Amino acid sequence: MTDGRDDGERAAGPAPAVAFDRISKTYANGTVALRDVSFSVPARTIHAICGENGAGKSTLMKILFGLEEPTGGRIWLDGRPVSTATRDFAGRHGIGMVHQHFSLIPTLSVTENIILGHEPGKGGLIDRAAARARVEMLSRRYGLAVDPDAVTGRLPVAAQQKVEILKALSRDTRILILDEPTAVLSPPEINELFSRLRDLSQHGITILFISHKLNEVRSLAETVTVLRAGQLAGAARLADVPDNMIMQMVMGRPVEITRRQPRQVTGEPLLAMSDASLASRDPADRLQSIDLVIHPGEIVGVAGVDGSGQRGLVSLVTGTARPVSGSIRFDGEDMAGASTARWRARGMAHLPSDRFTQGGVPALTLTDNAIAGTDGDKRFQRGPFLRRGAISRAVAAMVEDYSVRALSIGERLDSLSGGNVQKLIAARELATEPRFLIADQPTRGIDVAAAAFIHKRIVDAAERGAAVLLVTADLDELLRLSDRVVVMFAGRITAVLANEAQLTPERLGPFMLGLEGMP
Amino acid sequence: MTGLAIITDPATFATVLRVMTPLLIAALGILISDRAGVFNLGMEGMMLTGALAGVLVSAWTGSAWLGLSAAIVAGGLIGALMAFAVNGLGANLIIAGIAVNLAASSGTTLGLFFATGDKGMSGALRSGVMPSLDLPFVRDIPGIGPLVSGHNVLTYGALLAVPLISLMMARTAFGLRIRAVGVDPKAAATVGISVKLIQLQALVLSGMLGGMAGAYLSMGYVSWFAQDMTAGRGFIAIAIEVMGMGTAWGTLAATIVIAIAETLAITMQTFGLPNELMQMIPYVVPIVILTIWTARGRARPAGR
Repeated sequence: MTDGRDDGERAAGPAPAVAFDRISKTYANGTVALRDVSFSVPARTIHAICGENGAGKSTLMKILFGLEEPTGGRIWLDGRPVSTATRDFAGRHGIGMVHQHFSLIPTLSVTENIILGHEPGKGGLIDRAAARARVEMLSRRYGLAVDPDAVTGRLPVAAQQKVEILKALSRDTRILILDEPTAVLSPPEINELFSRLRDLSQHGITILFISHKLNEVRSLAETVTVLRAGQLAGAARLADVPDNMIMQMVMGRPVEITRRQPRQVTGEPLLAMSDASLASRDPADRLQSIDLVIHPGEIVGVAGVDGSGQRGLVSLVTGTARPVSGSIRFDGEDMAGASTARWRARGMAHLPSDRFTQGGVPALTLTDNAIAGTDGDKRFQRGPFLRRGAISRAVAAMVEDYSVRALSIGERLDSLSGGNVQKLIAARELATEPRFLIADQPTRGIDVAAAAFIHKRIVDAAERGAAVLLVTADLDELLRLSDRVVVMFAGRITAVLANEAQLTPERLGPFMLGLEGMP
Repeated sequence: MTGLAIITDPATFATVLRVMTPLLIAALGILISDRAGVFNLGMEGMMLTGALAGVLVSAWTGSAWLGLSAAIVAGGLIGALMAFAVNGLGANLIIAGIAVNLAASSGTTLGLFFATGDKGMSGALRSGVMPSLDLPFVRDIPGIGPLVSGHNVLTYGALLAVPLISLMMARTAFGLRIRAVGVDPKAAATVGISVKLIQLQALVLSGMLGGMAGAYLSMGYVSWFAQDMTAGRGFIAIAIEVMGMGTAWGTLAATIVIAIAETLAITMQTFGLPNELMQMIPYVVPIVILTIWTARGRARPAGR
């Protein structure tokens, strides 16, 4: 930590802030999450940890934060071995964590959230003046401006993240862990976050940054450690290695990332939405005067910070909402307020954003999930009875075709990894050879290999002539697949842009924040 | 007697306070458990146990105050038992609450039988009654004095509990932790708060208030224990807590409304209206109010 505490060990250079020493974690059910992972992080640096989903990044950080116990190995802090299995381990050792899903209580004030668990007291009551002063001091010292009295749940996401960071820093924190912190932010907000994090590192805080986005890792961190399948796959100074080397470490094999050549599509649009507005109790779902056309064979990508109206837009074309005004025409037919069944009958297919509540039923088998929505199909039904043999053969073919990794098609859906669930749902939806495909966050939270597979199938569908509406928070995905990009903010479309080479996430930023393109 | 005379009659005011006292104490107990995320559905059973414990212990010791203490301890123990069942053994919260109510209903009958040989009433026991409190100086104020002075000590205790619990929830670390645990236990746990400990404390506190509410019934409202004497007050207290929107002052307001409705039911019987119709009032009022509130909540656009 500070000088003079462990001078004896400083002869060979300062001890690293954190050293993982042959850390292993095997769960009770036999799953090996980590195996003999060793690496160290020098003090006052920003260190990235990369890897696919399930590579063990989060487990490793939970161990460092004291939320889980390793089954083997130990952690060293400043050159001393520590036991993480003690109460309030993280707090006592100055380790703070910014969780991917915020750990803020929405109904409490900003100050209450930050002091929670270590409240300053005076005569049995919370010393509110001291608490507020502490929040203001932290806020000033680290350049993170927040209103100490605001109700946390009413703040915008970027502000909530600042609160989350302040909370993580509130206990004399020396080591800050950030788990995928950019997922909820727009590009300008990400830049802002990164410059704040660089300031923190200047203040002497060691930062561990978990991400699967290479460009972010590169712009923020100095060194990177890559985990693959629970083992150390490599470590490097970022200045020394090119992107494809890191990707190869992440994937375990060479990969190429290419941007699809956008196509200019002309002629009659398949979907034509004009001046469509949607009312909703939730402001995040409201839409105002949406004009949108999608031609056959065209992929239209929708960009926007979460809650900009994407959900409302999807509900209009999947038959779950009726516009209050405006028209929606599909292949010339008026479809405003049409039911889901009618949309499906016209050739709509839908990859929903939440694969476990809308996409599939977790407690049912792969087979049951794969034939959901096919009732009445003569191939699978004779009279009132299901034809189990025919169904099994069809589902087995789907599983094979989409390389869904499962022990058997009789397994429960929730025994599969997220990527495999998404592949199965994609198989089901694309089996109908749709004319209109809605892909809503199609690869959120799934590993790179499965994501590449889903991308290929979406592009294939477009090349067969389907109109595709791609809604995604992942701007790399958006720019890689789309022919045209539509940006939404506060229920409006703020830009419609051709996906040319000069279109970058930075160009989209102002439209995503409503700084440009608002009436 | 005319309607106006009833309202201005000090006796009516006293009835409202008498009806209010057990409901307010119980509803405040439910409030604490609710905010901690362990809704105390066993309130009815805790009240009933407190009512019996108060009568038995005051009869044996000759001290009403010891009876009250026993009622509070008994309620707290049931709260601890419920917390253990839910957080220690993984029982369902609703089922645990129902179990407490059913067990208390038969258990108190059994206890009464062992103590008195009677299954219905404790009339044979010489049990204590909580004293009334004449407020010095206040009682001499013309007009107001006779209204506010001379009520049961637990009535004043219940009214005093409102600001105290409000202060506890808003301004103490314990209250803040209760609010945090009730909204998001996982997030609370990540800052080192023991969710189980907070919920145990909340349920014990809730149970202690339940025991106190029960003691008022058997040692204030009347001076004996009768089988199932709580008569659904624990459930009315649940409705009151919900109407109070999870705040102590809101709970007080809701209790006043319900107590007035119930007092109305009691006094209206003298006008010859059907007894059963009047007895519906305390149940109909929460339904109407909750329906209106829910409808209003729907109409309001969701804030972000």
